[in-house]
Amino acid sequence: MKDKIVEKIAKSIEIFVNSIKLKSIQFIISFSFILITILAMLFVGIAIYNKVSILSEQNAIINTRQIIDQVNTNLDYYMRSMIEISDYLDNIIYYDNDIQNDKLREQMNVIVSSRKDIVTLAIFSDNGDLILSVPSNKIKSSANIKQQDWFTTPLREMGNLYFSSPHVQNIFEGQHKWVVSLSRKVIINRNGKRIPGVLLVDMNFSVIDQICTKVAFGKKGYIYIIDSKGNIVYHPQLPLINVGLKRENIKEVQEHVFGKFFDKVNGERRLITIETVNFCRWRIVGIAYMDEISTIKKDMSLYILWVLLIGILFFISISAFISAKISRPIKQLEKSMMLVEKGQFDVNIDVKGEAEVAQLSRTFNIMVSRIKQLMNQIVEEQESKRISELNALQAQINPHFLYNTLDSVVWMAENGKSDDVISMVTALARLFRISISKGKNIISVSEEIEHARNYLVIQSIRYRNKFEYEFDVQEEALKYKTLKLVLQPIIENAIYHGIEYMVDKGKIKISVSVTNGKLLFEVRDNGVGIEEEVLNNLLSYESSKKKGSGVGVKNVHERIRLYFGKEYGLKIESELDVGTNVQIWLPLIEEEKLEAKQNEIQR
Amino acid sequence: MKYKGSLLLTFCCLIILLQSCFTDKNMNVDVNNAHKKNIAFISKTNYGYHWATVKQGANVAAREFNVDIDFMAPDVEEDADEQINLVNNAIDNKDKVVDAIVLAASDYNKLVGVIEKAYQRNIPVIIIDSQVNTNKISSNIITDNFEAGKSMGNVLLDICGKTANIVIMSFVKGSINAKQREEGLNSVILKYPGIKIVSKEYCYSDTNLAYNIIKNILLKNNNIDAVIALNDIASEGVALAIDELNLEGKVKVIAFGSTTQELNYLEKSVINAIVIENPFSIGYLGVKFAVDAIENKKIPNKYLIETKVIDKNNMYLPENQRMLFPFVW
Repeated sequence: MKDKIVEKIAKSIEIFVNSIKLKSIQFIISFSFILITILAMLFVGIAIYNKVSILSEQNAIINTRQIIDQVNTNLDYYMRSMIEISDYLDNIIYYDNDIQNDKLREQMNVIVSSRKDIVTLAIFSDNGDLILSVPSNKIKSSANIKQQDWFTTPLREMGNLYFSSPHVQNIFEGQHKWVVSLSRKVIINRNGKRIPGVLLVDMNFSVIDQICTKVAFGKKGYIYIIDSKGNIVYHPQLPLINVGLKRENIKEVQEHVFGKFFDKVNGERRLITIETVNFCRWRIVGIAYMDEISTIKKDMSLYILWVLLIGILFFISISAFISAKISRPIKQLEKSMMLVEKGQFDVNIDVKGEAEVAQLSRTFNIMVSRIKQLMNQIVEEQESKRISELNALQAQINPHFLYNTLDSVVWMAENGKSDDVISMVTALARLFRISISKGKNIISVSEEIEHARNYLVIQSIRYRNKFEYEFDVQEEALKYKTLKLVLQPIIENAIYHGIEYMVDKGKIKISVSVTNGKLLFEVRDNGVGIEEEVLNNLLSYESSKKKGSGVGVKNVHERIRLYFGKEYGLKIESELDVGTNVQIWLPLIEEEKLEAKQNEIQR
Repeated sequence: MKYKGSLLLTFCCLIILLQSCFTDKNMNVDVNNAHKKNIAFISKTNYGYHWATVKQGANVAAREFNVDIDFMAPDVEEDADEQINLVNNAIDNKDKVVDAIVLAASDYNKLVGVIEKAYQRNIPVIIIDSQVNTNKISSNIITDNFEAGKSMGNVLLDICGKTANIVIMSFVKGSINAKQREEGLNSVILKYPGIKIVSKEYCYSDTNLAYNIIKNILLKNNNIDAVIALNDIASEGVALAIDELNLEGKVKVIAFGSTTQELNYLEKSVINAIVIENPFSIGYLGVKFAVDAIENKKIPNKYLIETKVIDKNNMYLPENQRMLFPFVW
């Protein structure tokens, strides 16, 4: 089963391959056309795609950078406003005579209640005591303020503002709020003494969140913020980061203060843009998925693919069409040439194709007609050559006949048979006269009969008592003409091959009649007959090559057919030991027609 | 004829070419109209910090993967019959086709029937926070309760040394989570003959009951060195009792969970150490795995979520405060 299927498949493939004529003009034209267009389209497509993708990538990078810059500006602005608040409070604290006054508390209250993003404002002395806080919170007994970064750093580094990492503010009782702490060193007038202290501004993430949430690069892109230590300040998926379900490549980001780089996560190329916020040294990190932000790249590749595909289909059909158009007249021409090859010269090609092909077909037509003309000429020449040959042949007198006749005459003269001599010589003289008959080919029927009679006279004297003959001539037949010397060869044949070997006396009957609108000579003998094999070949072309019997008969046949066409000629019927009947069919030729015929042959 | 054919083909190509310029827009419309996946999220109860955080995680995942979530829960925790009803309703709801179910099964055996029913209907079921007695589920996300128990045992050894009288406060009899935590705990403390379990109690997830039981025990016995509470509700009750009796420091408390109450007690040193779960991850991964199962992605059969031991000293480390305090802005 399997083998059969395999065989079938192999066969069908073979048929398919064979059907593509690799060297046909149509194939070559289509193939090269398609190849060139595909290559050209591919080249252009790839070039355009490359350029567009580079441009779109650059565009995307610029866009991302602009968005990040915007975020940076906003954050910068926000931070500045926070610093301004702290500056303002610093001023008040510095010029206050005593820290414990209601004016400061009032100011702080106004600030906290007017700004939702400020969670706490608090002032600490340098030994960690809470001097003032709004809203007023109790410090946890367990709180260790002196160990908090936001407390120690500004005291250590003079004049510095400190932005903490996001952390849980755990110094106030019952509160665990996530905040970013801004702290600075302040000089406090307390009980008449100027002592250093710390101003703490705790802010929540609402504003930072507002600034960052709406930023998106495509569907998946986002930004996040890390502080100088690498802690995440803001991240849209912070809960996931917190529990460790998502990680950011913070190490690599920390190596950059400003700039961009690409990385690959889960096979997706990401653009990472980094910018640093001025006051707090935070870094804004934008993550953009290149697939998304340069969507035009994907669209373009799809579009180019489509255009390529359709274009190729389009060009295949066009090239098939053009190649067919070009090769069709050539194929037509080829077909006609095949006909000519087979021998049909009646072809006339009417090819309406390209100028070259039309010219070719015209030339071909001329060539074919010329060949046809030449061939006809050759046929004619051959024919006339044959006629002249045969004419020469008919003029020949069998020399043996002449010797034998003359021998007989001599023999009869010696024996004193003067009557016989006279009649024989007379007959011979008449025979020759008619034979020559002034070089004419066509003679009257009566002359032809006369010729045959004279011949039979001579032969009957030579073959004494061997045969007898009779003539049966229709009166009507006598007014027609005939090709000369058609009877004599047949009679000669009847005598030499039919009667000579007979034991009994032979009989030759010659009749002339008009039958079926044709002139018919009939020579009937009762000789030994002709074998069928010989009979069949007697009139065909090959037999003429063999020497001996039947040459004369065949000559007669061919001569008649050359002169008058294939419907005339000889018809031989023979039966062994019974006899042979030879019919000679000729057209009815009257005087006037003869002239025309004669002229035609001579021309 | 042949040429007419190729002309026709050319014409068709041109039409396709023209059409292709417009198809993109149509495709986009299709994407937007696509059916938004719907996930039924059935928890053990609606109350408490633990389940609120689980929900929070589920919501984050829902937003990330663009799916709808229906939260459902029985009013009383461990009400398995009500849960069976909820699952059945979700499966049979014809108005809203459920693409996946995330289930925190209250009972190891009772819910097997409905879970297998959903499985037969080709609805992926993700079991979270607990285990069920069937393998015809898509995935199982649980806290590594045995490890949690072991951690509690190790903390006990660190705090009390190798001799101690302890009370274990479990929550529900028959709860597989409670059982595994106990087993983990036992795997450590049974090695030390000096550690004696004075009593093992069940509070049935009732803070007051836990408070009363412990108060009674502590009033009767003054040789108790430590109380180990196996879930957050039990922990709060125990801590309340210790705080009220002013026994902090004398009777050590090892608690489970990270409610605000517990954290306050931890800061006040009423509770000496807590083992915290990661309920956010449970919720988040439950929904994430459900989405993956809908999309025929490969997901693990079983996903264990680690626990962590927190004490007063390390609770404000950046990595720990993130786990302990919900980030609210």
